[in-house]
Amino acid sequence: MTSVISRRLFGACAAAAVLAAGAAAAQDTIKIGVITDKTGTAKFYAEPVTEGSMLAAKIINAAGGVLGKKIELLIEDDQNKPDVSATVARKLVDAGVVFILSNTSTTATQQQQTVSLETKTPQLTPSNSGETLTTQIDNPYFFQTGPLFSYQINTLLAYTRAKQFKRVALMTDNSELGQLVARSFKAGLEKAGVQVIVEEVVQRGATSAVPQMQKVRAANPEAIFQAGVLGPEMVLFFRAYHQLGMKTPILGSYNLSIPLYLTMAKDLMDGIVIVDAYDREKPEVKAFEEQFQKEYGRPAFNLNAYGYDGVRLIADAIKRAGSLDKEKIRAAMQATKDFPATIGAKGMKYTFPPGKRTGFDPEGVVVRLIENNAHGRVVHAGQK
Amino acid sequence: MTRAAPWLAAAAAMIAVAFLLKDFGYYSDQYRKLMLWVALALGFNFLFGIAGQVAFSHFAFYGIGAYAVVILTFKAGLPLGVAVVLGLALCAVLAIAVGIAATRLEGFYLALATMAFAQLFLVVLTEGGAVTGGAGGIANYRLPALELGGRRFTLTGPYYTSLIALVLLATFFVFWRLDRSYFGRACRAIRDNPEAAAAMGVDVARTKIVVFTVTSVLAGAAGMAYAFVDNIVNPPVFGLENVFLLLFMVIIGGSGRHAGAVVGAILLYMLPYVLTPLIGHHQALVFGIVMVAAMLFRPDGLVGVYDRLRARYGRGAA
Amino acid sequence: MSDILELLVSAASSGCIYGLVALSYLVMIRPTGIINFAVGEWAAVGLFAAFFLLTNRWLPLPYALALIAAVAFTGLIGWGTQRIAVRPLVEKGAPILGPILALLGMLAIFRESISLIFGPDPHNLPAPFGLRQVSLGPFAGTPRDFFIIGCTAAVFVGVWLFFERTVWGKAFEAVALNRKAAALMGINLRRVTVAAFVGGAAIAGFAGVLYSLTAPRDFLMGLPLAVQGFSALVVGGVGRVEGAILGGMILALAEQLTARYADQIGIPSGMSLGVPFLLMIVFLLARPTGLLRPKEAAA
Repeated sequence: MTSVISRRLFGACAAAAVLAAGAAAAQDTIKIGVITDKTGTAKFYAEPVTEGSMLAAKIINAAGGVLGKKIELLIEDDQNKPDVSATVARKLVDAGVVFILSNTSTTATQQQQTVSLETKTPQLTPSNSGETLTTQIDNPYFFQTGPLFSYQINTLLAYTRAKQFKRVALMTDNSELGQLVARSFKAGLEKAGVQVIVEEVVQRGATSAVPQMQKVRAANPEAIFQAGVLGPEMVLFFRAYHQLGMKTPILGSYNLSIPLYLTMAKDLMDGIVIVDAYDREKPEVKAFEEQFQKEYGRPAFNLNAYGYDGVRLIADAIKRAGSLDKEKIRAAMQATKDFPATIGAKGMKYTFPPGKRTGFDPEGVVVRLIENNAHGRVVHAGQK
Repeated sequence: MTRAAPWLAAAAAMIAVAFLLKDFGYYSDQYRKLMLWVALALGFNFLFGIAGQVAFSHFAFYGIGAYAVVILTFKAGLPLGVAVVLGLALCAVLAIAVGIAATRLEGFYLALATMAFAQLFLVVLTEGGAVTGGAGGIANYRLPALELGGRRFTLTGPYYTSLIALVLLATFFVFWRLDRSYFGRACRAIRDNPEAAAAMGVDVARTKIVVFTVTSVLAGAAGMAYAFVDNIVNPPVFGLENVFLLLFMVIIGGSGRHAGAVVGAILLYMLPYVLTPLIGHHQALVFGIVMVAAMLFRPDGLVGVYDRLRARYGRGAA
Repeated sequence: MSDILELLVSAASSGCIYGLVALSYLVMIRPTGIINFAVGEWAAVGLFAAFFLLTNRWLPLPYALALIAAVAFTGLIGWGTQRIAVRPLVEKGAPILGPILALLGMLAIFRESISLIFGPDPHNLPAPFGLRQVSLGPFAGTPRDFFIIGCTAAVFVGVWLFFERTVWGKAFEAVALNRKAAALMGINLRRVTVAAFVGGAAIAGFAGVLYSLTAPRDFLMGLPLAVQGFSALVVGGVGRVEGAILGGMILALAEQLTARYADQIGIPSGMSLGVPFLLMIVFLLARPTGLLRPKEAAA
């Protein structure tokens, strides 16, 4: 017993010594911590976001860096485990980062906030759209620029205003993210006076969505709002929809805008309306896609752009802060106004309104159709 | 007095570490979470390694403890002490219910039933609406101030780490005493041969229920300590994946031995952090290989390796 | 009315997949007593092997050939698994928990290897049938459903005949009844174990191929499938081949009927996900030996 204790004590002291040595080294780069998921269930959307972040850092450094220093991204894997996520956030803080960029899942980002609040380290999620990330706890160090679920549902409702839906179905899966989207969508629909007459869940690992779709068919809604996230389970949904010969219009969250769905649910998604925050016609996007192609040798898609914007926003805040003082950087981030976005509708700019820490322009969500197994044109933008 | 000395020394050492690490958020956090894993591994070892029950509900009870203390304190507005007692009572009641049912089941049937129970718990958490906070969980709470002799104080930083150390030591103490008592021998007898144990006068059903209840309640207690580590509780932490990790910890360390649980938990908790810079992000692959190797070459785990080395190189001869 | 017939086809095709996984467990449990949770990972191996054989750019195989080759490959993997994680332990006389735990380690190895080779994205196995609903008498379903049901029926008939009509099958049963006596009678235990694992893996691999016809799957697919298959096995009982398919059908029916009708008896649709788990617990307690008892016990 005592030998175990002393061994552990020794290990801890050794670790502390190493850490102190690290902190003593002169800071000649600007360290930004990136938390991503390299091994868990969020990997397929966290990693593309991180690729975009790395590209942005490279471009900024090639142009001379910020405040005369190069940006150094310290990338940590949280395995999409929220408790591990908070731990690696502390690791980054101890390593001297001036900002934490959270590219992982919403639940993990929420748990990291304990650390950013406690250590007064500014934190930004460029991609999470969780409705309550900035409201669940009052954390002045946390910022969010992902398109909130309420913006998404309101934009969809604006797009369909002429149709005046009164009774709709809501579909999701039992992943944490799917549940969060569904809850926000339901709140948004009810607020707009639309009744959710049937609410269905396709379970992770399911082999059929026929029972759920039969229920939807029996309830005969005017539209189906799609809040699901998990690829296989959503494909089950689309297949059952086609199998049962349904014609009810489907309106999807921005999760369906991940291009992977186009290959996973090939031939099943034509005519579906999705929200997205990406417009290929924008000059900013064209420039970004060119750079991305050059760097990675393959075309970019929307997720890459979220991470790209994240690092650009942080670099801009540091530049305006004029120092590496975390408090000044936080204040500068809060003061971000009209920063041109790669993400979002034409002309969209990031702004944190006073007292708010959500920087995505509520009018910046776009609606597009899926045509011929590809993301079609943008047919609507904004909540009006 | 002399019997208490090692325990007091251990407590002093662990608390000393808590204060040594107080300026290092990362290592302090690692230390806290590691101690909770060790506490869980000790319980799982008693349940699986000593009593021979393959139950996958350990993390569910960890979660029940965590959620219970948060909901009772911050949603129901009860004083923390009352919430802790009620939460532990809830764990006990649920554990007795599952335990009574489980005495009818053997081996992997028990595993399946407890797995179903764990999944059911996750469904309840996700569908719990405002009570459990759904998929996002509950945040925005802090450990309430304690009142002692008219003075109010809040346990933060190294003081809270010390509390976790005491929870761990108390857990260890309970299992250590149980293991050395008639009860521990009865558990091992049931694991090795239930019929023979019954013939020798061991009340098999009652022993099984008590083991399941004690280990589950102590998992709940660890969960309560966890609830204030990051001041947030959410469903994914209490999922099934972690139970497998717990099983790997106990087996690789040395099933049926307290030291094995401690060593296994420390090793497998640290491994991903150590391995990532070396081999990238495939620690699970390494876990699998180590697990298979352990079963093939050293079913008594690392502690068995240590015993053998000691027997060969002297100290055992003295 | 047509709804329920549609639902029956959908549940039957899901039940077939669960049943095949249960059968894979059963083929190994009967002679060896080993519960192998890596069956889900074997299913993933079968799926990804089929995916590779069908879509690789060097030598894409025709559909039927690719499926057969993938199943055979999974059988080979089953042999390797057995050789590494089972035989050394059995020959050492380790308790039965030994190989079960070693196979859990193999589970992690398989899963991570697939993730290393194929990445985290779900893979879509090409299928030669469309998705339009077709009717077979009063039953309506997709061609995939009927393909899954037909293939599973063939596998079950084959395995049933094997156990009932061949010397090898009798040897399996003899070992299941009494290992020592069977060995004394000259049955080669090692060969029976090898055959059980190769057969179990091939069945699991085939289940994986059929599973991926329902939707694209990723490297994490194994565990949910392994749990569903084991649940089906528990419901049906480990004693008889018919038990596996019966258990699979009951489990799938329970899942899909609750998803469809639970709200009509007052259970909110989110909570209905918990109903199968609850059923499982009740079932385990009421009937821990499963619905079908082994023949000799029934006699």
